[in-house]
Amino acid sequence: MRIVVAYKWTCDPEEATVGADGTVDWSRAKPGLSAYDPVAIELARQFADATGAELIGVTVGGKGVGTPIAAKAALGRGLDRVVIVEDASLAGAGPSELAAVLAEVIRQIGDVDLVLTGDSSVDVAAKMVPTVLAGTLGWPAVAEVTSISGQAGELRVERAIPGGVQVLKVRGPAVLAAAADAAVPRIPGMKDLLAAAKKPAEHAELAALTVPARAAVMTVTGWSRPERKARKGQLIDASDPAQAAGELITALRQADAL
Amino acid sequence: MDFELTDEQQLIRDAVREFAEAEVAPIAAEIDRNHRFPHELLPRLAEMNLMGMPYPEKLGGAGADYLSYVIAVEELSRACASTGVILSAHASLATWPIYKFGTEAQQERYVPDMASGRRLGAFALTEPAAGTDAGAGTATATRHADGYVLNGSKMFITNAPYAEVYIVFAKTDPDRGARGMSAFILEKDTPGFSVGEAEHKLGIRGSSTPPIYFTDCHIPGEALLGEEGEGFKIAMQTLDGGRIGIAAQALGIAQAALDAAVSYAKERVQFGKPIASLQAIQWMIADMATEVDAARLLVYRAASCVDNGRPYSTEGAMAKLFASETATRVAGKAIQIHGGYGYTESYPVERNYRDAKITEIYEGTSEVQRMVISRSALR
Repeated sequence: MRIVVAYKWTCDPEEATVGADGTVDWSRAKPGLSAYDPVAIELARQFADATGAELIGVTVGGKGVGTPIAAKAALGRGLDRVVIVEDASLAGAGPSELAAVLAEVIRQIGDVDLVLTGDSSVDVAAKMVPTVLAGTLGWPAVAEVTSISGQAGELRVERAIPGGVQVLKVRGPAVLAAAADAAVPRIPGMKDLLAAAKKPAEHAELAALTVPARAAVMTVTGWSRPERKARKGQLIDASDPAQAAGELITALRQADAL
Repeated sequence: MDFELTDEQQLIRDAVREFAEAEVAPIAAEIDRNHRFPHELLPRLAEMNLMGMPYPEKLGGAGADYLSYVIAVEELSRACASTGVILSAHASLATWPIYKFGTEAQQERYVPDMASGRRLGAFALTEPAAGTDAGAGTATATRHADGYVLNGSKMFITNAPYAEVYIVFAKTDPDRGARGMSAFILEKDTPGFSVGEAEHKLGIRGSSTPPIYFTDCHIPGEALLGEEGEGFKIAMQTLDGGRIGIAAQALGIAQAALDAAVSYAKERVQFGKPIASLQAIQWMIADMATEVDAARLLVYRAASCVDNGRPYSTEGAMAKLFASETATRVAGKAIQIHGGYGYTESYPVERNYRDAKITEIYEGTSEVQRMVISRSALR
């Protein structure tokens, strides 16, 4: 059995600063594994350990994704090997382009039974790549996955739904997006990190891949910010705590917050 | 000159930081308040391969370089200085002399268990009347038919109640002073060996440091570490490396105090604006940040000397002297920035301040470090 985890090496927006004019300064933001990808790696590692599967990490992107530290950071989390496509043209690529390259790498790896991704990427958080990747591969896509068991070709997948858990039987290869809290990622031990440099990291050239023409099936054409509701700015005098608590409860009820 | 950490060192720093923030920091204030040894952390430190980081994998260690180990002590101490010294005393003071001076049989018997964290170690040199003047110790090891008999006491022994392996220094030839001192490996449960009541300390309260006693304590001949009369040399060489670990502990404390001060200065509003906008605070923060960075450069340089096989006695002394005094200064300024709140247990800086002070004292006082440094400078 062969499992692929598609992960992203990117900067955490929390480490970026936004100027008064709205421009974002990423220069001091440290790159790292996208926040939810270690969850996907952990979920995949547990399933791979249970089934004896090989666990392969795949990442595609612009400059930096192929640095040795990026590969070691991913490998130190429990992957058996990684395949990396680093190409300047992929910087800022949309979900269709990324999915097209990921799909081709997955085809080239061959005999892949399962692809896992994180819930969303820490920088864009659009949750599109898993679905578009599955569409590109012609496989089913399942989001909010909390548990995987079974075997190649017939998986038992649990996913979180509002108010409960849905259990699915999934035939054939599939793309699964792990729920953000599907597993607690293990913090790599010192031996894991020191051994990472000895694991295989294959660098594939984008030009050598047979990626279909970049006519993306889906293109992001714009972004807008959610509308901000004006705040009431209601202040409650707390000199009498009991009375203040009563007023707070009344105010929350009036606002339909309780 | 390359000031960049290697990939592995950066990843180790990030992983230990993640571990320390997730599992060590949440209990740091509680173990300090209750003078409680953090038993629950030892299995986790072992699982993270932190207990024997700088020792070879074939001996149960992680096979990391010394700088990586120092970074790990720094990051743990940033969250909890008690945890930092529990690790440093175990790895630098107890395991290292066996690894360095032990016979092959002693190494095989002890290092794998200690480096993997199965057995905790302690280092017993200080006596009630012999601190800085370590050669003046009066504990004796008298030759016996099949080994030695230990008598005397030691004090301020980090990890003593929970350790299973102790490096003990005792006089085999009291007439020869420091040259008559020898080193021994003592196992817990040895008849005649006992552990006293824990000291109530100003800081590092999660680390237990009671006295230990030897009363006609028989140990076998193979417990001798090195040759008879080599004890003082073994102790001094061990402390040369150990004080880099304490320097790293001090650095972690200083960084924690700086972090807390920066965070508080941005949040605390006085005169209608965050106090970080006041020049008085900015200048304090600037001095603190500069001193912490300078301490880090000295500490990492000393560790780098170890890794490159260069002498590190003076470099280690400089690192410990500067980092420990920086920790006290920076933690003091952090309290000043916090104002009255900083004097309470509501914020971590009072703990940082109490924890910092010991780093100027143990494993060689600041005065001893100055002796070491001046000897080198005036040579």
